[in-house]
Amino acid sequence: MTTTSAITEPETTRTAPTSSVTSTILSFLSHQYLVVVVAVAFIVVGLIKPSFFGAGNIQNILFETAFVGIAACGMVLLITAGLLDLSVAGVIAVSAIAVGTVLPYTNIGMAILLAVVIGAILGLVNGLLVTYVKIAPFIATLGTLYLFLGASFIWTGGKVVTVTSSNFRALTTDSIGFLPYPFLTLIVLAVLTYSLLYRTSFGRTLRAMGSNQRAAELAGMRVNQSKVVVFMVAGACFALAGVFMAGRLSSAEANMATGIEMGVIAAVVVGGTSLRGGRGTVFGTVIGAMLFAVLSKSLNMLGVSSYWQYIVTGAVLVIAVAVGARRRSAAEVRGAG
Amino acid sequence: MLDTSKAQLDAVASIEHEREESARRGARAARRQSLLQKLGIIVPFALVLLAGIVLVPSFLSASNITNMLVNGAILAITAYGMTMVIALRGIDLSVGSSQAVAACVVAVSVNAWGLVPGILSGIAAAIVLGLLNGVIVTKFRVPAFIATLATLGIYRGVALLFTDGAPVMITDTAFRSIATSSLFGIPVPFILSVLVGAGFWFVLEKMRFGKHLVAVGGSPESATDSGINVKRIQLIAYIAAGATAGLAGVLLASQLGSVNGSLSTGLELQAIAVVVLGGTSMAGGRGNIVGTFLASLLLAMINAGLNLLNVPSFYQYIALGVLLVFALSVDSAQRAAVRRVFEGRVA
Repeated sequence: MTTTSAITEPETTRTAPTSSVTSTILSFLSHQYLVVVVAVAFIVVGLIKPSFFGAGNIQNILFETAFVGIAACGMVLLITAGLLDLSVAGVIAVSAIAVGTVLPYTNIGMAILLAVVIGAILGLVNGLLVTYVKIAPFIATLGTLYLFLGASFIWTGGKVVTVTSSNFRALTTDSIGFLPYPFLTLIVLAVLTYSLLYRTSFGRTLRAMGSNQRAAELAGMRVNQSKVVVFMVAGACFALAGVFMAGRLSSAEANMATGIEMGVIAAVVVGGTSLRGGRGTVFGTVIGAMLFAVLSKSLNMLGVSSYWQYIVTGAVLVIAVAVGARRRSAAEVRGAG
Repeated sequence: MLDTSKAQLDAVASIEHEREESARRGARAARRQSLLQKLGIIVPFALVLLAGIVLVPSFLSASNITNMLVNGAILAITAYGMTMVIALRGIDLSVGSSQAVAACVVAVSVNAWGLVPGILSGIAAAIVLGLLNGVIVTKFRVPAFIATLATLGIYRGVALLFTDGAPVMITDTAFRSIATSSLFGIPVPFILSVLVGAGFWFVLEKMRFGKHLVAVGGSPESATDSGINVKRIQLIAYIAAGATAGLAGVLLASQLGSVNGSLSTGLELQAIAVVVLGGTSMAGGRGNIVGTFLASLLLAMINAGLNLLNVPSFYQYIALGVLLVFALSVDSAQRAAVRRVFEGRVA
């Protein structure tokens, strides 16, 4: 309990002594209302459709959470630093296709390493465009989204690359108990991301430039260098998500993750990270990813047309940002242009 | 006594000198900016036109010219609204989805109610979507790029739900002939795009609303302080962006004769690219309708040229991405040039 609240709100643990159990629970609920929302949604849908509680469905939810959550770990670093990356789907496609293409010729470790390195290189392209060509992050990465997608179409000739290695499929889709490997990876990655953001000087630079870039520069922080590095770290996270998606789908193609950027950004924002930058919650991000996974599987189970998922994701994103803007009134939003 | 008045005179003189100096710098900055802005569109336009004529077979055939003019016109109409929004320092990523909704609505309602009510309801649908964007940005204070990223998904979902994922054929031949007919040899969509562009140019350059809009884009805080109703202007700009996307959607539906819910995916990138290439700054405070028009024709030329050369369509993605990065680099070089004039070369 204290560890979870420490992950999201480092300040509150100092100010709020745990005097009684009830007050702790109440403060947890008020800070982590999202956990309650996810739990309630899960239980309500489960009561309507008992098959929702089936092991297969829960595993599906965890897989979905992992794909979006792993990418969102990179995104939360960017948004905390006042940046943004819309090229998630492009990076996922290129790295997944890379894995599928090289797997027949090399071992699994090298293939995954190659994908992550490619992700970091694509992140480097984004970082250089944003930092040195000085293009606003959302527009630069919108451009590179189509560049990367175009590159993956050209690479595959518009065809599907099948992943035949059964060992690779096992590594990316097996589970310990009912926890799939991708989900365990997400947990490890979330802890690493949290440590990076709140326990290293690099993370401190990210938070400082997210809340005030000029002040961070004047304080002698290496803002430009950190920007490029954070884009590379985020690119590596996206690529890792792409690796697991390729394993789950047993294939890779250019269209495999189209539109995922909205889900990733929504998970980060719904989790409680402000688009103004300066502070980010990794725990909230994971819960945000879980919320969208539960929502999408609920809609599936209830037999709602899959087109509604576009509408639900978009609406939740707008509402989350609007509520945040209301709480923090008259705040100038960074990264908007 | 005399000393103090002399000092005062000196001070006044130096202030005046300072003013003249800054006015001169301002004029120089404006000249340099408009030069870069014009070069940014005219040079690529000329180069691509020349390359097309020299390298691409039957680039100047009548059917290809008509094709380029119609495609360029449809893109230009979408981009006029985007020009307004970007000049305001906003963005509308949902134009492609709004256009899909408008095209689907127009297809279904032309089949049901006939030509004029069908067209009107298509444009009305797009105006409602633009209004919704404007309300989310101004009333709920959601940053424009995130608000319209969300509505991009929402409107796409609406378009797909509306058609149930299946294509809709348009049976009305009168409607289908709008985009293909011509007046004095000039395609009707092209004439329409010139007329709409002239309207937007007039509003931006000659009317108070346009001056206010550019002022809001230059500095929203100063605009608020000088008594401009910023939210009203933002709302109108987003409605305009929706309306032009809708009008272009009607023309597109007429051109294609059959529409589906995934129409115009990725259009936002093309619209932003032509707006920025046309010399409208992403930093707001400047709109250039003529540039947007020329840049739309440029993009249409590039796409037609690549098609005629049988280049796979994936490469058009790459061409678009490169064009966008080029346009944005010119934009930021322009801003850097202006900054240098004001601050000297020290920084």
